[in-house]
Amino acid sequence: MRSFHLAWISFFTCFISTFAAAPLVPIIRDNLNLTRSDIGNAGVASVSGSIFSRLVMGVICDLIGPRYGCAFVNLLVAPVVFSVAFISSAEGYLVARFMIGFSLATFVSCQYWTSIMFTSSIIGTVNGVAGGWGDMGGGVTQLLMPFLFHVIKVSGATPFTAWRIAFFIPGWLHVIIGVMVMTMGQDLPDGNLSTLQKRGDVAKDNFSKVLKNAVTNYRTWVFFLLYRFSMGVELCINNVIAEYFYDRFNLKLHTAGVIAATFGMANFAARPLGGYASDVAARKFGMRGRLWILWIVQTLGGVFCIWLGRANSLSIAITSMILFSIGAQAACGATYGIIPFVSRRSLGLISGLTGAGGNFGGGLTQLVFFSTTRFSTANGLMYMGVMAVACTIPVAFVHFPQWGSMFFPASKSGGNSEESYYSSEWNEDEKEKGLHHGSLKFAENSRSERGKRREIAAAVTPPGYNSTPDHV
Amino acid sequence: MAVQDFLLASLVLSCLAASSYGTSFSSLPATLIVSASTKQGQVLKAGEDKITVTWSLNTSLPAGTDSAYKTVKLKLCYAPVSQKDRGWRKTEDDLEKDKTCQHKIVAQPYSPSNNSFTWTVQKDVPTATYFIRAYVHNSADEEIAYGQTTDVHKTTNLFKIKAISGRHVSRYCLCLLLCFLYCVFVWILLLGEEEI
Repeated sequence: MRSFHLAWISFFTCFISTFAAAPLVPIIRDNLNLTRSDIGNAGVASVSGSIFSRLVMGVICDLIGPRYGCAFVNLLVAPVVFSVAFISSAEGYLVARFMIGFSLATFVSCQYWTSIMFTSSIIGTVNGVAGGWGDMGGGVTQLLMPFLFHVIKVSGATPFTAWRIAFFIPGWLHVIIGVMVMTMGQDLPDGNLSTLQKRGDVAKDNFSKVLKNAVTNYRTWVFFLLYRFSMGVELCINNVIAEYFYDRFNLKLHTAGVIAATFGMANFAARPLGGYASDVAARKFGMRGRLWILWIVQTLGGVFCIWLGRANSLSIAITSMILFSIGAQAACGATYGIIPFVSRRSLGLISGLTGAGGNFGGGLTQLVFFSTTRFSTANGLMYMGVMAVACTIPVAFVHFPQWGSMFFPASKSGGNSEESYYSSEWNEDEKEKGLHHGSLKFAENSRSERGKRREIAAAVTPPGYNSTPDHV
Repeated sequence: MAVQDFLLASLVLSCLAASSYGTSFSSLPATLIVSASTKQGQVLKAGEDKITVTWSLNTSLPAGTDSAYKTVKLKLCYAPVSQKDRGWRKTEDDLEKDKTCQHKIVAQPYSPSNNSFTWTVQKDVPTATYFIRAYVHNSADEEIAYGQTTDVHKTTNLFKIKAISGRHVSRYCLCLLLCFLYCVFVWILLLGEEEI
């Protein structure tokens, strides 16, 4: 449980600093003389940096473990957060937000870490809670930063100085959490990765094989697209919603921050709810249930986003925003209830690719709908909702031979078992060396994804499983 | 049931909200003559420089024009060049929604002549190009007239204000923190030796 808490807190801290500027934009835009496109581009930059860093983190997790990855990201981003105090131009603002955005890579280490520390039947819930509590940072920051700004201003600083000093707090948090992860964390249930690799208990893998395995699995790309419209949309909203409420409904900075915060804070319960719903559906319907839950909540999220864009009064806007947040965040949780099953060998990389897809989507959406004067923010929200609904349809095409898909049951032909799916990620040479043992262990564990239908006799052991000698 | 009540309440609230309009700027007569000590294109420093504003009623107007005039509120307003690509400073005719004049200078009781005020540009004023406008309010605090230092198209008599950077104090804090970071890093490295 210690690792669980370290995982989500480290990710939470990164969310805080990535979106720390958003609620303070009304002050920052006056201090740095920003235009709407400057603000929009910086918002895009804040989520784009992590497209790359999430991929790298996925690889790092697969090769050297989540603990190092997570700690290093936190310790490296702290100086950048401190340097925000020196920004004097729109370009500086953009670069700072871009570099701080790299820290969102901790999403991958967080999800990877919880995926390998907990058992598959509760993976949706665990990933959902860890991811949700981490994402909550995006909501907490909307409250925290204006609060810090206000406290510093009251103690005598001018507004243009106060916002700079406010950034020191997230910077400190990074340092503290980075140190804690290094000293108190543990990669795997049995110990730390480097120790286990030295003992030979865990095989050291090859990057290009892990990569090939991930990119040749079509499901990776479906989720890359889908996550754009749950997480991507959420990231976009984190960047624009406080300013939207401030400008459209003439609210005070503090009030706009509070409302914007409820969006991010809903993550506390909404994302875990999505993961939990995924697990509950899996108990009865197996993987097919998980896929349906994802489609339902993500589509609902899109519908409520359309409603938010069209809301003309404050109360309707808040209502639709809350419903939208529940839908989109539950969809994020439901997605990561499925990701651990897409691949075992390339779990880190696929988690990373999906996560990167989320950021790519967030950046693209912000660029298209919220960085130009072509669409008003309200219309941008509406179109974003429409796209979310349309782009959730591909989930119907995800098919697992051993479990089925939304509209089709498991393939009837023999040889479609969990073991054959997961060991197909390794070639004969590697199987001979016994490198696929971890995958087989997982495969047995994952039989829960069949749901209540258990006709395929679990007693049939596939060839090669028992006959491979235990190697020390 | 609670959901239905809530939805009904929000519907009612939204109707109420929609029905409140502000005064329209285009309906206001320009009855005050306002002038400032700034020259065209002058650059003032926030927190340091001062502006002296004088205003009086246009004497060519018929007597009794100012019978309802109660208070005068002076504001610093963005010139069109500083509103470009910045929707949060947009000019709207509905004064409730108008964002042109966001910085208050002073509010004083109305008098037809001999009005003057010297204002030190505040430290939270951003870098931009400005003019000054005076709104006249009646006893119900509604705008009923105005005057401004620039012409109708907002092209003449504009001046610039240069904001403070806000960066000097942070430098001090940063140095302290860097030292702290350094110590932490050294400590981790030492701890790292035992781990691996």
